[in-house]
Parts: sequence; structure tokens; C-alpha cells
Amino acid sequence: MKLKDGFILREVAGEHVVLSVGGEVDLNGMITLNDTGCTLWKRLEQEAELSDLTDALLAEYEVDEPTARAAAERFVEKLKELDLLAGA
Amino acid sequence: MTKYYNITGLTVAMDSFGRTVTQAAPYECEPVDRPDIVVGGDWKRIKAMAEQLSDEDCEYLATGNSFYSQLLCHDGMMLHSSAVVMDGQAYLFSAPSGTGKSTHTALWRKVFGEDRALILNDDKPALRFENGRFYAYGTPWSGKTDQNLNLRVPLAGVCMLYRGEVNRIEPFSGPAAIHAILEQTVRPADPTKIGILLDLLDKLLTTVPIWKMHCNMDPEAARVSYAAMSAGRKERYL
Repeated sequence: MKLKDGFILREVAGEHVVLSVGGEVDLNGMITLNDTGCTLWKRLEQEAELSDLTDALLAEYEVDEPTARAAAERFVEKLKELDLLAGA
Repeated sequence: MTKYYNITGLTVAMDSFGRTVTQAAPYECEPVDRPDIVVGGDWKRIKAMAEQLSDEDCEYLATGNSFYSQLLCHDGMMLHSSAVVMDGQAYLFSAPSGTGKSTHTALWRKVFGEDRALILNDDKPALRFENGRFYAYGTPWSGKTDQNLNLRVPLAGVCMLYRGEVNRIEPFSGPAAIHAILEQTVRPADPTKIGILLDLLDKLLTTVPIWKMHCNMDPEAARVSYAAMSAGRKERYL
């Protein structure tokens, strides 16, 4: 899986802010990500499997594998809800 | 005929008519070979979308859009707000149209005196980040009124205004503050410029106090915002 094209992620005053560019996806203004969301978002700018997302969290945070996997699953569900994944 | 202007410290070439030329007159300067900004803008396209507007009003909007879009490439942005200058500091009050930005800055003039509180730009001041700090500028594009001054003034604070029964002001930060400010500027279509805009917002939110105020239309509203915003500057940044 992979994010759709046309987003820009920037840190603004300590917040991870995502805006859509070009207008294919309407984010209703903007979305903000927490730190783990930001890690997962960046990983999903390239093609990634759930295991890649889990690995990305394990590499950056002190969590066990089941916790990381659950967090990655929740994030992917959220992206699906918002229809932000390509070809989904 | 192309005329040359100095707007926000940048040299600007512009071939315009009507209201734009009139309001830009105080900014006119000698011709330069390579202006920083060449204002374009297709006013007929705006006219096609808003037939009720006059040609010169469409041109005024089109030239303003063109200028502010290019301003992003010079560490500058427009904020939809009424900007008042007092004692050498600029205070910006931003909100959606109809909330009462101009009404609030008019209260400053009433309460503190028209000699002391000046309107820098009543609707679309420019902000530029120069040498580590933000300055507010008057520009020829000031919305419905022609209230603008060709001045550069250090920016002391930005306040997002909301209507309320009582006057209450508090520091504003986090995603809600970012979103509120984004809603009151023009979001460019060009991805590079969106990145520039977000980087500028990062600098704005980390170097300038941002406030959120609920206010009514009593003179007390001006006293409340001035007290917080002028003191906030000193406490937080001096």
C-alpha cells in the first residue's frame, strides 16, 4: 500500500501538518499527525506492507512488536476511512 | 503603461488601471531594470466568475492575487486581517469577512486616538520575515476601503477574532491556531509555494505571539486586546 499523490507534510510550530496539493483529495483544510503518525506517513510515501510499517515504528520507538503492529493497523484503518491510500 | 513601485521593500512592475493605480500611487518609485515582482493577473477571468463586479474591481483583485502569490518567493505572505499600528508596533486582527476586524481596529482609533492608532492596511496586509523577525507592511491592496499606509512596522502580534458577549483574549497555539491562520491566507496551487507558506507559518508561530479573542463592539474590547498584546510582547520576547 501507498499514500495517494498530492500531499505535503511539514512541521509547523512543532505540529506535523499535512495539506493536499492540486486538489485531488480534499482534506477539509488540513490534518495533523502525532509523532508515530508522522513516522508511518513518511514510510507510506513509498510502497509499504504492514510489516514495513511495524518495523518503522520498532526502529524509532521503544515499543514491543504487537503494540507497534496494532498501532500501524489502526493508522492504516484511519487512512482507509479518509480514503487517502492509492488504489484502495 | 507600466509603472514601478516599492511595495513591501520589493521593486514591483505593474501595468494597471483604475483603483489599483490610484491606491498604488503612494508606492510609486523610479523604474528599475529587473523588478523583484512583475504583477500580472487576468482580471477578465475574475470578471467571468463575478459579473456583478466592475472591471476595475476585478483588476484590483487580480493584481492583488498576483502580487501576493509572488510575495511567497520573497519570504512574505498576505494575512486577511486589519492591521493597526500603535507606538511603532503592528497588531493584526484576522477573521473571516463580516466578523468585525475593521470594527475592532476602528475601536482602537476611537479609544487611543486617531493620531496614535493608524490603520496600516484594513484588509490584506503583507508580512515579511527579514533578518530573523516579522514586519507588517501596508500595500495598495486593502480590501473594500483604501485604508493603507506605505510603512514597514515590526509585527507585535496576530489575533484571531471571534464574536462574543464578553471580551476575552488568550494565547493561541497548536493545530487550531495553524488552521485558523491558514484559512485567512491564500493557499497557493503550486506545491512548492505551499511548502514555502508552511515554512513561513512555522516562523510566524514560533517568533510572533498569536492570540485568540472573543470580543464585542464596546470600546473595552480595544483596551482588552491592547493590554494583552502589548504586554505579551514584552513578557515573552524582551
